[in-house]
Amino acid sequence: MLVRLLDSVARFVGKRVVLSVEQQQRLAAWRALPASRFSQPWANSRCVVMDVETSGLDLRNDRLISIGAVAVVHGRIALGDSYSVVLQQDVASTRENILLHGISGSAQRDGMPAADALLGFLEYLGKDTLVAFHVTFDETMLRRAMRDYLGLSFKYPWLDLAYLMPALNPALAGKHRTLDDWVTAFGISIDARHDALADALATAQLWQVATTQAARNKIFTFEELCDLEQAQRWVYEIS
Amino acid sequence: MFVKYGVVLRSIINRVASHRVKVLSAIHASQLIFFAAHVPFSRMEQGHLLWMLERMSLAYYAAGEVIVSPEQGSADRFLVIKQGTVHGEQSVAQATEDAWLELAEGECFPLGALLAKRPVASVYRAGSDTFCYELAADDFNILLELSTPFRDFCTRRIANLLEHSKQLIQVQYAQSSTEQQSLSSPLSALIRRAPVTCAPDTSVREALELMHSSRVGSIVAVDRQQRPLGILTLPDVLERIALPQIDLGQPVLGIMTTQLTTLPPQALAHEAALVMARHGFRHVLVVEDGRLAGLVSEKDLFALQRVGLRQIGSNIRHADSMAVLQHAAADIRRMAHSMMAQGVAPEQLTQFISTFNDLLTVRVIELECAASDLRDTPLLTGVCWLALGSEGRYEQTLNTDQDNALIFAVPQGMSADQVRSQLLPLVARINASLASCGFPLCEGNVMASNPRWCLSLEEWKQIFSGWIMHGTPEALLHATIFFDFRALHGAQHLAEDLRAWLSRVASDNTRFLHQMAENALRNRPPLGVVRDFVLDHEHTLDLKVSGITPFVDAARIFSLAAGVTHTSTIQRLRSSAARLNIHAAEIDAWIDALLFIQVLRLRHHDEISGNAELDNLVDPERLNELDRRILKEAFRQARKLQARLALEYHL
Repeated sequence: MLVRLLDSVARFVGKRVVLSVEQQQRLAAWRALPASRFSQPWANSRCVVMDVETSGLDLRNDRLISIGAVAVVHGRIALGDSYSVVLQQDVASTRENILLHGISGSAQRDGMPAADALLGFLEYLGKDTLVAFHVTFDETMLRRAMRDYLGLSFKYPWLDLAYLMPALNPALAGKHRTLDDWVTAFGISIDARHDALADALATAQLWQVATTQAARNKIFTFEELCDLEQAQRWVYEIS
Repeated sequence: MFVKYGVVLRSIINRVASHRVKVLSAIHASQLIFFAAHVPFSRMEQGHLLWMLERMSLAYYAAGEVIVSPEQGSADRFLVIKQGTVHGEQSVAQATEDAWLELAEGECFPLGALLAKRPVASVYRAGSDTFCYELAADDFNILLELSTPFRDFCTRRIANLLEHSKQLIQVQYAQSSTEQQSLSSPLSALIRRAPVTCAPDTSVREALELMHSSRVGSIVAVDRQQRPLGILTLPDVLERIALPQIDLGQPVLGIMTTQLTTLPPQALAHEAALVMARHGFRHVLVVEDGRLAGLVSEKDLFALQRVGLRQIGSNIRHADSMAVLQHAAADIRRMAHSMMAQGVAPEQLTQFISTFNDLLTVRVIELECAASDLRDTPLLTGVCWLALGSEGRYEQTLNTDQDNALIFAVPQGMSADQVRSQLLPLVARINASLASCGFPLCEGNVMASNPRWCLSLEEWKQIFSGWIMHGTPEALLHATIFFDFRALHGAQHLAEDLRAWLSRVASDNTRFLHQMAENALRNRPPLGVVRDFVLDHEHTLDLKVSGITPFVDAARIFSLAAGVTHTSTIQRLRSSAARLNIHAAEIDAWIDALLFIQVLRLRHHDEISGNAELDNLVDPERLNELDRRILKEAFRQARKLQARLALEYHL
C-alpha cells in the first residue's frame, strides 16, 4: 500500500528517469528521425498496428505488460516486420489478470527491462503512423510508460479503427462495438485472443479491410482517414 | 545454391535466437500452427518454415477482387490462402460463368505459372473476403532449392498429394485391421454369413447333407420364430452319430446340444473367446431379441483374413457348387479390403477385382453349362459370353451390377431365333447364379438373358450400325455400355470379329463420334462457383457419374476414333495418345486423377459394405482435407480432358 502510494506521488511530481548512455543515444536517434508525413497515401508507406496487454483496465494505476505490433507495408502485413515484447515487471499482475493474457508471473519478471523494451518499440516504429483499436486505452498506457521509463512525452498521431470501422460501415455500426464484433463480421480469426501480437495481427487485418473500403470511397491518405475518424467521433458525441 | 542459403538461414536463426535488444521479427506461434496443418508445409523443416514466414506478407482481397490475372505478366508471387476462398477462372470472358477450380484455406497457387515463370492462365479472384499469405517469386525460387518437401510438392503436385494420401490410407486401414482382428470388436462385425439352420424335426441324414452341401461345420435347429433350439457340430458327428451308429432317420434335435451358449451381437469378441475357453465350445450363437442372428466360431475369432490369393483362385477353379462360389465371392471382398489396407495401387486393385470376378463368372458359366441339357451340343461351342460396361473396361468395383450379353454363331439349318430360344433358359440361370454370388441383376436389364442382347454376330453388327447411323439419344447411351464389350468365356473369335468390324466402322463415322463427344461433354465435373464442389440436394458427390464417367467417355471416343481395340480406359488413353498428339505427361496426369477417384470409390464401397445398398455417393465434407484437395485436382484434370475432347470435335 505504501509502495503504491509512493509510486503515485512520484508519478505526480515527475519521477526522475535514469537512462544509460547507450539508451540516451538510442532515444536521441529516434527523436532525430523526420516526422511522419500524414499526408501520404498508405498504399506506398508503412504503418504500425499495435495492441497492448496491461495489468488491468485502470488507466492511472495499471501497468503495461506487453506490446505486440505488426507493420503494414504498402497495404500488406509484413510477417517478418513485427514486434513483440514483454516488459519486465517488479511485481507480477494479479491472478485473474494473468489468466486473461496468459503471461505468467515468471514470464513477466523475465521480460525485457522496460526502457529497452520501449526503445525497441520506438526503433521498430520509426516515425510511421500508429493504428490501434480503441486508441485511447493503448495510447494512455503507452504514453505513461514512455514518460515513466524514458522521460519521453509521446505525443503521436494515431488512427483509431474503433471509429473508422463504424464510419466506413454505417449499416453495421449499431451492433458492432468491440474488436471481437468487427473481426467476426469480416470472418477474421484471432488465433489467441488477449495475446498482444495475435490481437495486433487481427487488428491489422481489420485495417486492411478498412483501407480497402476507404479506397472505394476515394479516400487514400492517412490524413483523409483522420478526418473521417474525427467526423465519426463527432457523430458519437452528439448522438 | 543450397550451401549459400543454408548459411544465410543459419545467420537469420542466430539473429532471432540471440537476445539482442532489437529483435526484428516476432512471428506468432499461431502462424506456424496454421502452416503445420497444411501440406506441404507440414512436412517442411521448421527452419525453412521460419525462413519463409519472415519473408511473407499477408494481403487482403475483398470478395470479387482479382488477385492474379494473365494481364499482370509473369507470376510474381506465391500465395497461400489463410482464410476465405479463391476461384480460378478459365478466361476473362467466362469469368462469371464457369469456375475451373475453387481453392480454400491452406491451398496454394499459382504453382504452374511460378515454376514456368510465365503469366497465369486463369484469373484468380477472391470468392469471399480473403486473406492470403504471399511470398515474392524470387523467395519462392530460393525456397524450392532450400526445402525438398516443398520442391517435391510444387513440381509433382498431384503425384505428391497421392503419395501422401496413400500413406494416410495405410495408417487408417492398419488401424481398422488391427481393430478387426482385436478381440475388442463386437460379434456383429465377425458374423460372416447367415447361419445354416434346419427345423427341429429334420432327420439326422438331411441335416448332415445340408451341412455337407453348405460346407459348414455346424447346423442350428430353429423354431418358426428363428429361436435356436439346438446345435450340431462336426466333432459331434463322430461321437454321437458315427460311433453309436444311430438311426439317421430320427429327428436331429434329439442328438443336438440343447444347452446353448448365446451372446448378443453387441458382445465383444473376447467375451466369446472366454466362453469358448471356459466351456470348451467351438461355437457361440449370436442371438438378438431371442432370434438367431449368426454363429461365431473359434476359427472366426483367431483366423481372420488368412486366405491367400492363390487359395481363392484355386477354390474358384475347382468349385463344384454355387455355395462354394458364393463363399469365394465373400473372400474376394475380404481380400480387396486387406489389399487396400496394404496400400496396393488402385490399378492393381481393380485388376485384382476384375481378374477374380472374371474367374468367378467363368466358373459360374461352366457350372451352369455342365448342369444344362445343352451340354455337349455343338450349339454351346458357338457361344461367346460378353462382359459390358465397367466389367468390359476392367473397372469393376465391389458393387458392380451385371452388364453382359451373348454372341452366338448360327449353325446351318437353324435360324437365329431358334438358337436364341434354346439358349435363353440357360442364360437366365447364369444371370441368376451370378446374382447369388453378389453381382446384382442389372436394373436396365442389360443382361444376356434379355432376348434383345442375346444375338448372333450378324444381328450385333446390324444393331451397332443402326446406332452409329442414327445417333439417337438412346443409341448414344447404349454405345457407352455396349461398345466396351470384351469376351469373357467361350468362342472368343466371335467377339474379335465384332471388335474389328466396329473399330473400322466407328472410326470412319465422324458424325457419330461428334455426337458422342457432344453427349459426353454434357456431363461436367462438379467444380462449382459457390463452394468447392457442386453438390446435389443431399450434399453428396456421385463419384461414378461425376468423377469416373468423364474419363471413361472421353477415352472411349478417343479409342474409337483412333481405331484402338482396348477396352480398359487407361489402355485406351495410353494407346490413343500418340494418334492424337497428346503429351505423355498429360495422359499420366489424367490417369492418376482417374485412379484416385477410383480409390475413393473403392474405399467408399469398402466402408459401407455390409449395408445392402452400395452407392457411389460421398459427402465431400467427410473426406479429409487432403483427399478433398486431390479430388478437386482430379476433377480439374477431368475438365482438361474434356477441353481436349471439345477441341478435337470443335465443340
